[in-house]
Amino acid sequence: MAARRRLKRVAASQPGFLGFKSPSDPTASVGSRRKRVNKNKKKNWSKYSDVNDVDEFLEDIRHQERTTGGLLSEKADDSLYFLDLGQPEKPQPQAETPQADEGRKRKGKASRPLRIDLILKPDSLVPPPKDILAYQQPNAKKLRRIAQKAEQLAAKGVVPRKQKLLLNRRPVDRTVKKAVAEANNNPDRDYYDIWGQEPKVLADPWYLQQTGKKLVKRPEKLNEKPSVLPAVEVIAPGGSYNPDFFSHQALLQEAHQVEVQKKKQEDKLERQLAINKQDRATEETNLREEVEGLVEEEENDDEELTPSKEDDEAALAAIAVTQKKTEKQIKKEKAEKLKEQQRLTSRRQTEQQQQLFQLRSIKASIRQQEEKTKSKQMRRRVKQEAQKAQPRRLGKLKFQAPDLDVQLSDELAGSLRQLKPEGSILKDRFKSFQKRNLIEPRERAKFKRKLKVKYVEKRAFKEIT
Amino acid sequence: MGGLQKKKYERGSATNYITRNRARKKLMLSLPDFRRLCILKGIYPHEPKHKKKVNKGSTAPRTFYLLKDIRFLLHEPIVSKFREYKIFVRKLRRAYGKTEWSAVERLKENKPAYKLDHIVKERYPTFIDALRDIDDALCMCFLFSTFARTGKCHVQTIQLCRRLTVEWMNYVIVSRSLRKVFLSIKGIYYQAEVMGQLITWLVPYQFSHDHPTDVDYRVMATFTELYTTLLGFVNFRLYQSLNLVYPPKLDSKAESELKEDDDEDYAMNSESYTEKLSALSSSLARVVSSEEEDAKLDEFPDEGEDMEKMEAREKEQKLLETQKKIFEGLKFFINREVPRESLAFVIRCFGGQVSWDKSVCIGSTYDVTDETITHQIVDRPNVDKQYMNRYYIQPQWVYDCVNAKMGLPVEDYFLGVTLPPHLSPFVEEKEGDYVPPEKLKIMALQRGEKPEEKRLAIMMMKKKEKYLYDKIMFGKKRKVREGNKLAAKRKAHDDAEKAKKKKARK
Repeated sequence: MAARRRLKRVAASQPGFLGFKSPSDPTASVGSRRKRVNKNKKKNWSKYSDVNDVDEFLEDIRHQERTTGGLLSEKADDSLYFLDLGQPEKPQPQAETPQADEGRKRKGKASRPLRIDLILKPDSLVPPPKDILAYQQPNAKKLRRIAQKAEQLAAKGVVPRKQKLLLNRRPVDRTVKKAVAEANNNPDRDYYDIWGQEPKVLADPWYLQQTGKKLVKRPEKLNEKPSVLPAVEVIAPGGSYNPDFFSHQALLQEAHQVEVQKKKQEDKLERQLAINKQDRATEETNLREEVEGLVEEEENDDEELTPSKEDDEAALAAIAVTQKKTEKQIKKEKAEKLKEQQRLTSRRQTEQQQQLFQLRSIKASIRQQEEKTKSKQMRRRVKQEAQKAQPRRLGKLKFQAPDLDVQLSDELAGSLRQLKPEGSILKDRFKSFQKRNLIEPRERAKFKRKLKVKYVEKRAFKEIT
Repeated sequence: MGGLQKKKYERGSATNYITRNRARKKLMLSLPDFRRLCILKGIYPHEPKHKKKVNKGSTAPRTFYLLKDIRFLLHEPIVSKFREYKIFVRKLRRAYGKTEWSAVERLKENKPAYKLDHIVKERYPTFIDALRDIDDALCMCFLFSTFARTGKCHVQTIQLCRRLTVEWMNYVIVSRSLRKVFLSIKGIYYQAEVMGQLITWLVPYQFSHDHPTDVDYRVMATFTELYTTLLGFVNFRLYQSLNLVYPPKLDSKAESELKEDDDEDYAMNSESYTEKLSALSSSLARVVSSEEEDAKLDEFPDEGEDMEKMEAREKEQKLLETQKKIFEGLKFFINREVPRESLAFVIRCFGGQVSWDKSVCIGSTYDVTDETITHQIVDRPNVDKQYMNRYYIQPQWVYDCVNAKMGLPVEDYFLGVTLPPHLSPFVEEKEGDYVPPEKLKIMALQRGEKPEEKRLAIMMMKKKEKYLYDKIMFGKKRKVREGNKLAAKRKAHDDAEKAKKKKARK
């Protein structure tokens, strides 16, 4: 449809195109097709009025004034026209001109003003308007009166707006290096009594809340400690620099147990991954596997037939169809079922009656069950308590318990001077934070290559090999 | 079905938790900044009870935070400081790259900084809360103060930690609150009782240690940032409670004693004052200079309490007072090879006077030639020149005395003697447990008996009395023997069970 409209426009705009209504027809004038517009609206005053003629006229007047300094119609005839009386006699100016000409020719180009200067000069013949401020003479009396009035007002406190703004402007306080002094880890920083002062309530709490300046209360749950473990766990008495024999042995035993566990894990892995030596592939077995079925052998025909027969029979038996039951068989089954039910009900009755005499054993069994549940409950409670002391799983990595700091018997120092400290307190603190669920277990970030490294031999190397 | 259908994972625990990355994006912070913020504000990740529900059906291990905690974090003003700092770093890097040095200077002058005072006030609303958590703070500050000032972590932090730890030690000395010391292979454990709270902290040895690589330094530095602020405020409050001037100043008398001509040999002028303070050898100035009075306990006759209990408490108080003055009147001299700071701290905590050689450190009050020295602490097998009226002992004597709460006989700690084992004061033996013989001796000493005298007394008993005594001893020993027998039986039984189980499995 758009294409058709386009064509229509193009065709209609061709010169000599005859539309349906002929142009000679008086009714088909362009004026009647003009849309009716309300010229009383302010919007339409400038929109639908044509002021081009007035504009042209005014432009023309301005042009005349700029170029000739006034309207041409008002100018005197002498300024516009002159009487051409022919050429005047030449010899007189010729005597003067050679010297003047030489002088001018030498500096002819220099004496003429530059074209850009001429362009930039104002070339309008309309004179600039008068600067009335330059003609104003200060009236001393008036000025004095104004000053007195200002003084009086200032004494009262009324000050003009500009002055007021100036006074309200706070002076610039040049605090040099305030960032350095303000830093939190500045060694000379001040401390004050943070718990002693009461917070100053400057404004209405409603106002503070509405303007968003109210301090948010800390949720109660955040004040709970994430773990029941104490902050500093003292090492066992065997960790003393000069320990008692038995406590040192106990500590060594603990460390030994940890090692034994580790070894057990490793051994378990080994066992699970172990394969029989005979099962390992050798060249012979490889060859046999590859050649299977390719080489023809005669003895295998009989052996192949019998296994296939047995398979067929078994398959037939599985697909055997069940035959219909006779009436007799159905009746028999019903009678049997009834008998069975009767037997069961009578048995149940006798059992109920006999339970009266089994009260003691029933009580004993109930007591046993209760004890079992109680012991289970206790075990579960103990387990829960133990769980609380365990570090929670807080991230991708599991918590690795730190190695026990222990010195072997031959490393023990006899005196403080010969003591070699074991373990790093930094690591100990880090692990303690993880154990108490303050941070998640972290390990050092590995360097992962985003792009593979291409191995290129140096040219010199290539030549050698 | 009509009505609104309930969809899975829209209610309950699935909406209470938020993963770490989502939380980070909500706060518009980078991961290290987010970690720092959580550590500073005390927001910890939680492990939900039903991970599958929270994780929307998958069991992938993720870090979860409570949504309410993260919403609380959004109101924190230092979040905007973090963002400003990020912009500052970017601008600084650009200025460096364009080598606009004036811009670099200008930016550095206006570096954005934040303070953690409001966070400390919010996390620890009362002073006692802060005291409860001061263990961690002390450990971190002591640890950081031993770091080398190479610039790996801010040198300012190390200096601040040193200042705070020195202030703390001075407070403990003045208040005589040290109770237990334990020298272990890791470091030295101290326990002090401050305002009813038992505070334990660990101080590393002064020898150099290699820094492990698998520790996240940024995390530790963030913890230290918070803890230095906390410790500073706590120190202020503690000093105020004892009427001491804060920041601490040396007593005018002590200061005049310490004025020496060769002050410049030890430290720069700016640091010499702090070094003198850290020497821990002189007393601090007080706000209201008053003589130390022995505070007498007021007697409040309680209705529910009998006379006995009050008397018991009074006795306890008196005992405590005597225990605080173990080294009163004794003058110590520390030899060069002994760890000076730890010993000076412990000795001064219990009323003794201490000094060391001039070339070791600033602040030595008397020389080795002083005649009034009562004990000299040496760790070598022998000493060149021995003075007459002083004991030469190994440093363990001081620590063992502190743990035993009395002055132990010096003979076991002479030079060259094999030291008795250093027992841990932090272990409390229950009845029937193994108690090392050394501890038994100490307990006997505490009770006031002397071992040789006891033996002599036993030898000198009459036959009748000896018979009775033997019977009592037999009865006592029988209990212990039975306990041991039972323990052995149980152990045998357990071993048998284990062996059976192994056989069955095989």
